[in-house]
Amino acid sequence: MSNPSLLHAAIAAHRFGLGEASLEAISGDPRQWLLAQIGPAEAPRGDGLLSTAQALEHVAAEREKRQLAKNPPAGMTAEQVLAGHYREVIVADARSRLLTAATSTRPFAERLHLFWANHFTVSLAKGATRGLVGAFERDAIRPHIAGPFETMLLASTTHPAMLRYLDNVQSAGPHSRIVARAARRAEQQGEGPKITGLNENLAREVLELHTLGAESTRGPGGSYSQADVTAFARVLTGWRVGVQSTDPTQAFDANWHEPGAKTVLGKVYSEGPDALRQVLHDLAFHPATAHFIATKLARHFVADTPPPTLVDRLALTYLRNDTRLAPVYQELIRSPEAWNPQPMKLKTPEEFVLSASRVLRSNPRLFERGEAGVGISTLGQRTQAAPSPAGWSDRTEDWLGPDAVWKRIEWSTRTAHRIGSSVDARALAAQSLGPLLSPDTQTQIERAADGPQALALLLMAPEFQRR
Amino acid sequence: MNKHRHFNPRRRQLMGAALGIGALGPLSSLSFAAGASGSANRFVFVVLRGGMDGLSAAPAIGDPEFVAARGALAQFGTTPLSLDPTFALHPNLAQLHAMYGRGELTVVHAVGLPYRERSHFDAQQVLESGGVRPYELTTGWLGRALAPSAARSLALNTAVPLVLRGPGVVDTWAPSALPDPSADLVARLERLYANDAALATALQRAKTLHFDAAMPADMNATDGPGMGNAVRAGSFTALAQRAAEFLAQPNGPQAAVLELGGFDSHANQANPNGALSNTLRQLDSGLAALREGLLASGTWARTVVVVATEFGREVAINGTLGTDHGTGGAAFVLGGAVKGGRVIADWPGLAKRERFEGRDLRITTDLRAVLRGVLADHLQVATRSLNSDVFPGSEGVKSLALLKG
Repeated sequence: MSNPSLLHAAIAAHRFGLGEASLEAISGDPRQWLLAQIGPAEAPRGDGLLSTAQALEHVAAEREKRQLAKNPPAGMTAEQVLAGHYREVIVADARSRLLTAATSTRPFAERLHLFWANHFTVSLAKGATRGLVGAFERDAIRPHIAGPFETMLLASTTHPAMLRYLDNVQSAGPHSRIVARAARRAEQQGEGPKITGLNENLAREVLELHTLGAESTRGPGGSYSQADVTAFARVLTGWRVGVQSTDPTQAFDANWHEPGAKTVLGKVYSEGPDALRQVLHDLAFHPATAHFIATKLARHFVADTPPPTLVDRLALTYLRNDTRLAPVYQELIRSPEAWNPQPMKLKTPEEFVLSASRVLRSNPRLFERGEAGVGISTLGQRTQAAPSPAGWSDRTEDWLGPDAVWKRIEWSTRTAHRIGSSVDARALAAQSLGPLLSPDTQTQIERAADGPQALALLLMAPEFQRR
Repeated sequence: MNKHRHFNPRRRQLMGAALGIGALGPLSSLSFAAGASGSANRFVFVVLRGGMDGLSAAPAIGDPEFVAARGALAQFGTTPLSLDPTFALHPNLAQLHAMYGRGELTVVHAVGLPYRERSHFDAQQVLESGGVRPYELTTGWLGRALAPSAARSLALNTAVPLVLRGPGVVDTWAPSALPDPSADLVARLERLYANDAALATALQRAKTLHFDAAMPADMNATDGPGMGNAVRAGSFTALAQRAAEFLAQPNGPQAAVLELGGFDSHANQANPNGALSNTLRQLDSGLAALREGLLASGTWARTVVVVATEFGREVAINGTLGTDHGTGGAAFVLGGAVKGGRVIADWPGLAKRERFEGRDLRITTDLRAVLRGVLADHLQVATRSLNSDVFPGSEGVKSLALLKG
């Protein structure tokens, strides 16, 4: 077990991938195995997946259903009208995300997809995104994971799911035509206008969560003021695809746009839709963004507190390559800091369940009935439903609560009992963990009372929980 | 909805068989035998995530600028519940209003953190860490406050929230649909974790909570005694009920932390059926359930609950009938030990010139004054410890006297 490339294969499989049932296939050249996976994410697997345009049509149809349910046709109850409301799409989206990650031959690309989908969180925790989260991941994230960050930033910011999630579809320029119209109508009808002006939500979170970072995480020179947030919100007015039109190419509605030039971070941007592209371009190329993205990537793959030298190298690579991400990943894979044999991270619940299912090759059963999603929810990470726009935590301590560990044990117990004795956990431990498997763990697994218990011990072993 | 319930009753049967289904039955008899630890005071911290709009939760209806400043947000579905000539509570906080009437609730207004920017994530870090700037402290003020007495604490969540992190160990609890593992497997895992201190500690705490008969059975929250079917498993109200069961135990935790999200009301917040109204209703129902659950054992008389959020919101309505991020807001202090029926506010007024940066309700009371007062008077945390460990740099913040007697 002293084969160094086998150790690197185990690290590649768990730290950069989602676990492999056997390390043999990648032990030839683990770095090359990872480098070859860099590129756009592959076509997602699963049935019933809607494009963004189809998803918008579906949302429009569901809204009509809700209207109909208020006054159901004869012979039908409101519940019957609303049966299955969004459910099929939500289940298909979650299942596809998990099934694709669990079966892909490019698990590193899937990890990058999960990383970026979390960076640009759009969450089902807010009703306005229902039916659109899967389409967002497939259209705004997956094609762009290895492209220029600038492209992914634009795709994310202007996607209808994001525009709804962070309220931009409702934000109007205070001096826009729509606000003037609403005021006139309200006066005629003698009630207060419904649309009056800005909603800063998206502007603030793009700055804080997607590009420059919050005060506490920001690199040098990345500070911005409340005035910058407000001005950027003005730039964003008018971007509200999918509200009146379901055509995703018709994202901009000039009637809602704030007239006049805007000054963001000291630079003046002219009126109109092009300003958003320019602001996002400037944000993507900002050194504070480079630092923020580099820190998050290094934290995700290497350690909660990543080595500053590694972060600096990644940030420099990002800027030198005009925000293209492929060279950044290549730099990460080539960095010695990334291959420390001591695992510094705990798998998230989603990574844990996915790697268990890959190692057990139990995919069909686990995914056909949506079981994987239910399991991950119980472990505290409901699929596509992060609690806030900041996404799920990427720090070990946030996943190490006593109840969190206990639920992993419960999940492992149940999974192991379902698989029964059809898997030899002793052999699987050696094949999937290689040199990472400690003699103590090996002994505990060998001494287990029965097959399912041995398997539960393997899944709960520190070597399998950490990466 | 029943079809979508996440938590099946199997857990209840398993643990119910071992410990007796009625958690409250055996508990109420146990409480008579309470020893010294049984009479220890109880503290609950409720974190409201997303930035609760203090002027919606506790509107300053008597402020001459209120109607002009708030526009459509000055209108509520029904009349706000009056507290005094200036302040009221949101119509959906009826049970809190009743507590106010009983002298069990104090509203602290124009309150906030030393942090004055408007990021949820930085502000929550400051709220929970007890620092002045985000990330200058990496543990929580409550975790540090409890450390000297080694008091037990519990988070009603799968993860440990930052506020409870510190030198001590923390229990966490959340409902589960999965079967308990066997004691044999747990013993083997303890051996497996001999060289992994973090996993070993987590397992040790969880094991105590699940296998220790002194604690209530880990059962389905919807089906317990006194729990109406309307209470959804995993809801804030269900978690509050469960928190009360743990806290009422003679050997139960001294402190508990509950969390409720859904306060980031950027849009449509005036809607009486909208998200913010609904979230306030959940808060009201959960706090009432907590009180109810602590009353029978007499624990409520020894309890203080502080309800706080990371920031308030901009005074003016935004362009989408909501409010954007601000600074000053409101907090609630409630419990049988609280000298309630008061609104504590050095009220800055809502006129634009009085607002912080022309925008937000100005903070005139430091939230740490509330927390310092409660920790000192209720949990007997020494002033020296408050100054140096719990809220470093807060010696200039004068503690508020919030308790009876």
